[in-house]
Amino acid sequence: MNLFRRFFNNQPQPKSASDNGALNGSITPGAVPTTKAESPLQETAPLITTAPMMIPDGATRPLSQESLLTYLGGDHLIFGQLSDVGMVRSNNQDAAISYFVSSRSNDERPDFGLFIVADGMGGHHDGEKASALAVKTVATQVTSTIYLPMLSGQTDNQVPITEALTEAVQKANADIMTQVPDGGTTFSAVILIGDLAYIAHVGDSRVYLLTKDNIEQLTRDHSLVQRLIELDQLTPEEAADHPQKNVLYRALGQNEVVEIDTLFRRVPPKSRLMLCSDGLWNQVQDREIADIIRQNANPQDACNKLVALANKRGGLDNVTVILLNLPG
Amino acid sequence: MPETTQFAGGGDNSQDTSLKPNHVLHNRYKIMGVLGGGGMGTVYQARDLNFTDVRKLVAIKEMQTQVSDGALRASMLKTFRREANILATLSHPAIPQIYDFFDLNERAYLVMEYINGKDLEILLAQTKELPVEKVIEWAIDLCDVLEYLHTQKPDPIVFRDVKPSNIMIDSLGKVRLIDFGIAKTFVSGVKNTMIGTEGYSAPEQYKGDVSPQSDIYSLGATLHHILTRKDPRLEPPFSFHERPITVLNPKVPPGMIAIIDRALLFSGAERFRSCREMKESLDTLRYRPMMLPSSSQAPVQQPPNYPPAQYPPQYAPQQYPPQYAQPPQYGAQPQYQPPAPETPSTDFFREGTTNISTIQPKWTFKTEDEIRCSPTATKDQAFVGSYDSNIWSLKLDTGELLWKFPTKGGIASSPVLDEMNRTVVFGSEDFTLYAVDFRSGRISWTFPTKDRIRSTPRVAHNFVFFGSDDGKLYALAAPNGRQHWAADIETPVRSRPFVTNELVIVGAESGEVAAFTLSGNRKWTYRARRNIISSPLVNMVDNICYVGSGDGFLYALDINTGFNSWRFRTHGSIISSPAEYKQLVFFGSTDGILYAVNTQNGREKWKFDTGKPIVASPVVHKDAVYFGGTDGYFYCIGAENGKERWKYKTGGAITAMPHIAGDVVLIGSLDHTLYAFPLGT
Repeated sequence: MNLFRRFFNNQPQPKSASDNGALNGSITPGAVPTTKAESPLQETAPLITTAPMMIPDGATRPLSQESLLTYLGGDHLIFGQLSDVGMVRSNNQDAAISYFVSSRSNDERPDFGLFIVADGMGGHHDGEKASALAVKTVATQVTSTIYLPMLSGQTDNQVPITEALTEAVQKANADIMTQVPDGGTTFSAVILIGDLAYIAHVGDSRVYLLTKDNIEQLTRDHSLVQRLIELDQLTPEEAADHPQKNVLYRALGQNEVVEIDTLFRRVPPKSRLMLCSDGLWNQVQDREIADIIRQNANPQDACNKLVALANKRGGLDNVTVILLNLPG
Repeated sequence: MPETTQFAGGGDNSQDTSLKPNHVLHNRYKIMGVLGGGGMGTVYQARDLNFTDVRKLVAIKEMQTQVSDGALRASMLKTFRREANILATLSHPAIPQIYDFFDLNERAYLVMEYINGKDLEILLAQTKELPVEKVIEWAIDLCDVLEYLHTQKPDPIVFRDVKPSNIMIDSLGKVRLIDFGIAKTFVSGVKNTMIGTEGYSAPEQYKGDVSPQSDIYSLGATLHHILTRKDPRLEPPFSFHERPITVLNPKVPPGMIAIIDRALLFSGAERFRSCREMKESLDTLRYRPMMLPSSSQAPVQQPPNYPPAQYPPQYAPQQYPPQYAQPPQYGAQPQYQPPAPETPSTDFFREGTTNISTIQPKWTFKTEDEIRCSPTATKDQAFVGSYDSNIWSLKLDTGELLWKFPTKGGIASSPVLDEMNRTVVFGSEDFTLYAVDFRSGRISWTFPTKDRIRSTPRVAHNFVFFGSDDGKLYALAAPNGRQHWAADIETPVRSRPFVTNELVIVGAESGEVAAFTLSGNRKWTYRARRNIISSPLVNMVDNICYVGSGDGFLYALDINTGFNSWRFRTHGSIISSPAEYKQLVFFGSTDGILYAVNTQNGREKWKFDTGKPIVASPVVHKDAVYFGGTDGYFYCIGAENGKERWKYKTGGAITAMPHIAGDVVLIGSLDHTLYAFPLGT
């Protein structure tokens, strides 16, 4: 793994275990972390520094200006991921997975990545069971119906990516209905094939696309207040502290059939894709999210800081962030 | 179906505090059992022991406050008491009587009339269908009781929570309203994320604005649920209009639908002004016989006076242009049938617009055989190929003949302009590709292949790309026709290649869509289940290729990899080539429908049914889609909404794509004629 990483990545190696593979290599199986952020209030993330930047007292310093908006990943995507219980809840009902595969060979296989955030709900641990099950089911399905055929070159008359992804999410819905009947979960997934992003979405977790000077929410919340905003019955400001702002009208595990939003987008070079649960966007505004992401060339640093800010604002909910930095 | 789809989140609602049967409450009410319960408390059935000789049953509602703060609890109980007092003064046959009210052990109890019956939610679950006449009667009675509440003095009483589970149908079949808004004050703000909305509440209620119009909305929502059997709690909020009653329950008379639709308008001001007004509208339905034949209920739905089925005599499956004569596609096509009277909306629409098709061609030009290919034009000169084996060049503004150029076979491949080399390029059934000087009509060069050419050439990067029935894709130098390369595809190539800055993409009879580099090396292949005649279209921003197939699907392929992003299914073959406009892709199918599909997710935006197969490709100009059908009509429809603007009946089926040139749109028909219609009318 280490060799592999050094081969693909000219960056210095993380200096300690706490960096936790922040600069991921080409293959980084995602986990479903439930640990607390090491220091939610820490304003600067642990540095991945070169020796000359080290200060004798070991203190951390912000990244130097030159490193801002530079791309650290060579010719392929790098990502960061963090899931945190927050400051109030006793358990983390969010689940996440990230994996990314890059190969360079005569076969010309495009890079492939799968990224999911699911925010479970329901008492008696049903929430975390539902979100974990959704992530597990979809990741397994997508790997076997999309990635493996791609890897083995069986692309003639392949099932359309959108259909395979939708089927996987429907299967997750059915699994939750039978295995966690009292639980439910939001679900937002991005499959990246080359520079084409396929998104499947149910609920109020979100996917954002960030370019140099724009942040765009690609998904639409399936929430009561969003619906009221769309009907001009509520302003976004009124929605922000509406007593029913957490009421969803669509989620996995609620009905035999669930309508899944799908879309696909060609993502521009050097842009960023972010997936997050409502624990982030309820606490941190889009503009602030964009600023933090722009100021942190390392996606793991950006994730750490976003989570830290949500926690600093009260950390009322579990927070999960996945950030993808696309190559230029 | 879950009764409620809400999660409690954290709190554990244990039932161990409920009263047990035979418990005597307040020294008077002997608990018989539990009638119902929810988050707010429990409703018991009890016997009033003061009546010793008769078995008098009452319903007792127990309010659990579940609030530890003493002051807050006191205030809630006060609100509850006040509302109970208001209720006690009401007198209406549809409102249960209040007998008693008391506090005990920090709980509040309301004793009221026991109603022997079932609520509408249970009735919905236990029946397959409720008679529409019955529903209208209930609606009238509900309007009556709501009007009674709304006209109370000094302040109107708004029920706030009209929904099936709050409406009882008693043993006499009469409507009773239960569970007044009292409980509402006991609901605190939601902390955890919950799934499932209330479903019946009006949009303004979420802003805290409550008026009698909110009850009218909820009544409309309740009626919609009862008649369509689609539970609004399981659907996006305020989406009733997306589930039209006409579609879900054809038995409901249009008058009733109109009343429900009005009650469900987003803006309270646009709904009925009062329940009395709504009741008066409902009354007009009641005094008519309910089971009228549909024609007398709605004059607009009368079967239109349709001309007898017209099947263009020259148009029959076996007479299809040979290149379209794929037996599996046409053998399965249903024969044309006169429009069925049970599709009133489209027939009505179609009939209504026939009258406005006053458009007339600016000029026409008759060739000597069928026109199966698309015309093209310079700014003053039009070109069209005919199966009479000629290419005809006409003056664009008058249709006057300039020259004609004969080949040795019919022409099915569309002529294409090469402005740089001042030629018009086309293929012929005589196996040859021709480049003809477009001013003089004199031959510039020819290129022989080994079979018929039906593929329309593409001129790009100063090369001509085209396919032949000999199974090859050719790239020729545009100035002189010299072969640059030929790629083997092995089955006839009849679609028009699409050329980007890096790739040439083409479909073939085998069903493969193949992408070649500009130097002729195959980059990827996608295999559809049936042949591809439809020409690929590439969106150069998204780098997505759209192409239809004889298997009935329109495919969206990633041109970098050839992976299939999505596909859209039609119920016929797709021969028609797609056109794109503002994230919509348009194409026809032999199922008779022109489709508009959202390119971002592959879902249908609208469809336009012509009733007969569409093999011709559409063209988009400004915000209109132009296309011809095998029904002989040339259509102009709105690109955003699929609404017909005009149509013109030609004398034969139309199998080719129109061409927009200056201020006219050109279209050829199998009636041998080229038509030029003015644009912008």
